[in-house]
Amino acid sequence: MDALNNLMFGFGIALDPINLMYVFIGVFAGTLIGMLPGLGPISALALMIPITFNLPPATGLILMAGVYYGAIFGGSTSSILLNAPGVAGTVATSFDGYPMARQGKAGKALAIAAYASFIGGTLSILGLMLIAPLLSKVAVSFGPTEYFALMVLGLTAVVSLSDKSLIKGLIAAVLGMMISIVGMDLQTGTERYTFGTLQLIEGIDFLVVALGIFALAEVFYMLLNPQRKNTPRNQIGSLKLSGAEVKEIAAPIGRSSILGFFTGVLPGAGATIGSFLGYSMEKRLAKDGNTFGKGNIKGVAAPEAANNAACGGSFVPLLTLGVPGSGTTAVLLGALLVMGVTPGPMMLEQRPEVFWGVIASMYVGNLFLLVLNLPLIPYIARILDAPRPLLLSLILIFCMVGVYGISFNTFDLVMLLIFGLIGLAMRLYGFPAAPLILGLILGALMEESMRRALQISGGDWSIFLSKPIALTLLLLAALSLLLPLLRKLRRNRQQPL
Amino acid sequence: MTRLNINQLLALLLLAFSIGYLILAFQIPAFAIPRPVDSDAFPKLLGFLMLGLSLLLFLEKPAAAAPQDSETTSQHPVSGRKEIVQLGLTAVSIPVYALLIEPLGFVLASLLLGTGLAWLYGYRRHGINLLAMCLVVLPLYLLLSKVMGIYLPTGPLPF
Amino acid sequence: MKTLSAVALACATLLAPALHASDWKPTRAIEYIAPANPGGGWDTLVRTTSAVIQAEGLADRNLAPINIPGGGGAVAWAQIARDNRNDHKIFATSPPIILVPLAGTSRFNHQDFTPLARLITDYSILLVHKDSPHQTANDLFAAIKANPRLSVGGGSAAGSMDHISLAGAASAAGIPAAQVNYIAFSGGGEAMTNLLGGHIEAVITGAGEAQGQLAGGQLRAIAVSAPERLQGPLAAVPTYREQGIDYTFDIWRGVMGPKNMRPEAVRYYEQLFSRMMETDSWREATERLGWLDAWQDSATFGEFLDQQQDQFRSVLAELGLLR
Repeated sequence: MDALNNLMFGFGIALDPINLMYVFIGVFAGTLIGMLPGLGPISALALMIPITFNLPPATGLILMAGVYYGAIFGGSTSSILLNAPGVAGTVATSFDGYPMARQGKAGKALAIAAYASFIGGTLSILGLMLIAPLLSKVAVSFGPTEYFALMVLGLTAVVSLSDKSLIKGLIAAVLGMMISIVGMDLQTGTERYTFGTLQLIEGIDFLVVALGIFALAEVFYMLLNPQRKNTPRNQIGSLKLSGAEVKEIAAPIGRSSILGFFTGVLPGAGATIGSFLGYSMEKRLAKDGNTFGKGNIKGVAAPEAANNAACGGSFVPLLTLGVPGSGTTAVLLGALLVMGVTPGPMMLEQRPEVFWGVIASMYVGNLFLLVLNLPLIPYIARILDAPRPLLLSLILIFCMVGVYGISFNTFDLVMLLIFGLIGLAMRLYGFPAAPLILGLILGALMEESMRRALQISGGDWSIFLSKPIALTLLLLAALSLLLPLLRKLRRNRQQPL
Repeated sequence: MTRLNINQLLALLLLAFSIGYLILAFQIPAFAIPRPVDSDAFPKLLGFLMLGLSLLLFLEKPAAAAPQDSETTSQHPVSGRKEIVQLGLTAVSIPVYALLIEPLGFVLASLLLGTGLAWLYGYRRHGINLLAMCLVVLPLYLLLSKVMGIYLPTGPLPF
Repeated sequence: MKTLSAVALACATLLAPALHASDWKPTRAIEYIAPANPGGGWDTLVRTTSAVIQAEGLADRNLAPINIPGGGGAVAWAQIARDNRNDHKIFATSPPIILVPLAGTSRFNHQDFTPLARLITDYSILLVHKDSPHQTANDLFAAIKANPRLSVGGGSAAGSMDHISLAGAASAAGIPAAQVNYIAFSGGGEAMTNLLGGHIEAVITGAGEAQGQLAGGQLRAIAVSAPERLQGPLAAVPTYREQGIDYTFDIWRGVMGPKNMRPEAVRYYEQLFSRMMETDSWREATERLGWLDAWQDSATFGEFLDQQQDQFRSVLAELGLLR
């Protein structure tokens, strides 16, 4: 009952008219920023710090949190409509969202994304409210060893993400990992594969790769393929979900919300990994797993629930430990310090109005996002009505502005082109893009945590087997690799070639 | 074995790539302070993985690569000369945009790119073209530079 | 006291040549470059100072904040070095302008630019878990000497700021710098999380960044790299010097311009920033951000930078990382 009292107290703050207004401004601005490909919540929040200077801390955090989860919410829109991920966390949404849009079901895809985001977001706030202090212990128990094991487990998803040809999927994943380690190696300061270019020292931005491989490659592919069949583009379709469809996505949303929340709680994992894990988990669990990537509604629901839940989860380490779990929460932490609030174990006692006010405002904000986005879907989706030449040109503009807006650097535009051409080649020759993105997200993290772990253990490899969490995760990874392989082998034996 | 199939061609390409990658990996200098796993280990591993995978791809039958996804019936797009020219020009337009964005400014460069590409793709209603691009580029510019305070090159325009 | 001496310094530097030389005024908006993405230390400095200057109406033209990220600053430096006569271009700077070139990733170092003013400083702080047996910096260094496997985490790459700060302290305490098992994390926050979880033995990070964690009581600070004790919440943290380790490390931040900026323009900026540091808005901002004023004018800042370069070079040489 204590939580309920606290929540009531929080609602008292969140429902204050001024705060309510800032929630609205926050989620609205966030949705807008999220929809623009490339431009993400990190730069938006960093640039907002001066604005929050003069606000009371609770109001300031309410505003900034709104921008953050609003951006994750809005990011799905451009992933679905244009195949151009709005924020890193919504890359996985385009796997099935964009095919749905191509099949004339853009309205339904956007509606599912909105519902899944809302549920994922709301469930994660519940978790944040009820078990945050408990979870903060889980978060710190993850050291380099455990992260390495988690990354290995994440990488096993390559098998399920590459169903046509496992070899091609693995090649894509290795390529992704190769991209991920470009730049200065944190552990030694050594440059790797930078070819003496200053711009590559800090590595290649994830969104430049994602926009190239997905959005630009799609534009190129459409240019090569002017009379593609089955492209009733100017058709948004109904937003309504049938009872059967609701039933179908209910369980994936629930599972992915939980998974996403826990991924978000772990510092360094975050929404992108959460959405990939959610997607690949549902793909493995689904009976119709082979229709994932071709417009399966569960393939939209799972990553959207997961990334929004992860966003909520990332507030756990921020608010209870005072440590940022991601680039975005790092900026939030900075902003809080500027406002004179020190997040951490003492915050609940010293500044309860900030903690509970923000949590309550997130319920309100998620509701705002839902009622704001649902009625807008038909209008936003009208962009698909644009004549094909205009639409293609607009997608290109969005990509380039997004990329330029990340780095203010023309060099990244050239990188965008290179990845666009790689993406086109991959499409033409049947290499799946998802494993590449997975390798890109997990590769460098896996290498770094492995090397940290070994440096801590003094080069003793048994460290990976001596820690229970790490061992469990590694065993799970081994299992998830072996089971589908066995199943495939058995299937192959049943139908000889 | 007279003619290589598509997988074998790709495999040879990847093989060459992984050999190049490995050559670079072996040139990564060792760190002055001994580390259990140095900077070069992971690149070497990736290089060898790619090498092995490209060999496996060489052996894989390309039959599996029938229609890639349900929406495209033919595996290779039926693209003629016109489409390839369009693709080439689009690709070229990106570095050109990168070169123009500083001298011309964000607004002019983006308008030029947007209208130019739409024209290239066969859109001939120039008024609507320009209007649509203005409607996208100007609010974007205002949002980025005025609301969010991101500096964008202005070029000859006064704002 | 600090502000008073800043005034005195500013007056001293300005009076002599100012009479005839300070008539340069900007004729267009001044490009004020943060050589990094929004959100980092340089960006905060650029945005805060330009906001204060604008709010107080100190400059004749606007200071327009521009982010040029990449290469740990090297991308921006290369661009500014190319534009070496531009009087309307200044940028935020801190120890990486010396460290990055020493590590071999930038062709340009502080001597390729004109120091304008040093503004603020932070110090580096050594943290352990609250239950750690190490009570002092000497305890920790003795333990490291006995067992070189003990790991100390930091928030930046090997060979960059946190590592240098730690290696320098270790060396001053009589341990070979290369013997410290420095683990690079991708930020001070991540390093502190690992310390909270007991995965590493200690953490070195910026004092400002650690304040929140220290207030939480889960971590304990055993040394700060300031010459004398800090004021405010960190007043209880002893300095290295107090513990018999003759070592200080400044995480200073300042402003620089292109190499061939005309002397009149240098005076102008010097005066601009010294006046900025007198304002109430500045005081308010530094209080919020936990910054400590550390004013130095152009000439003094230049000498200071040369000393810093010597200090960093010797630490890097000891680590074997000098390139």
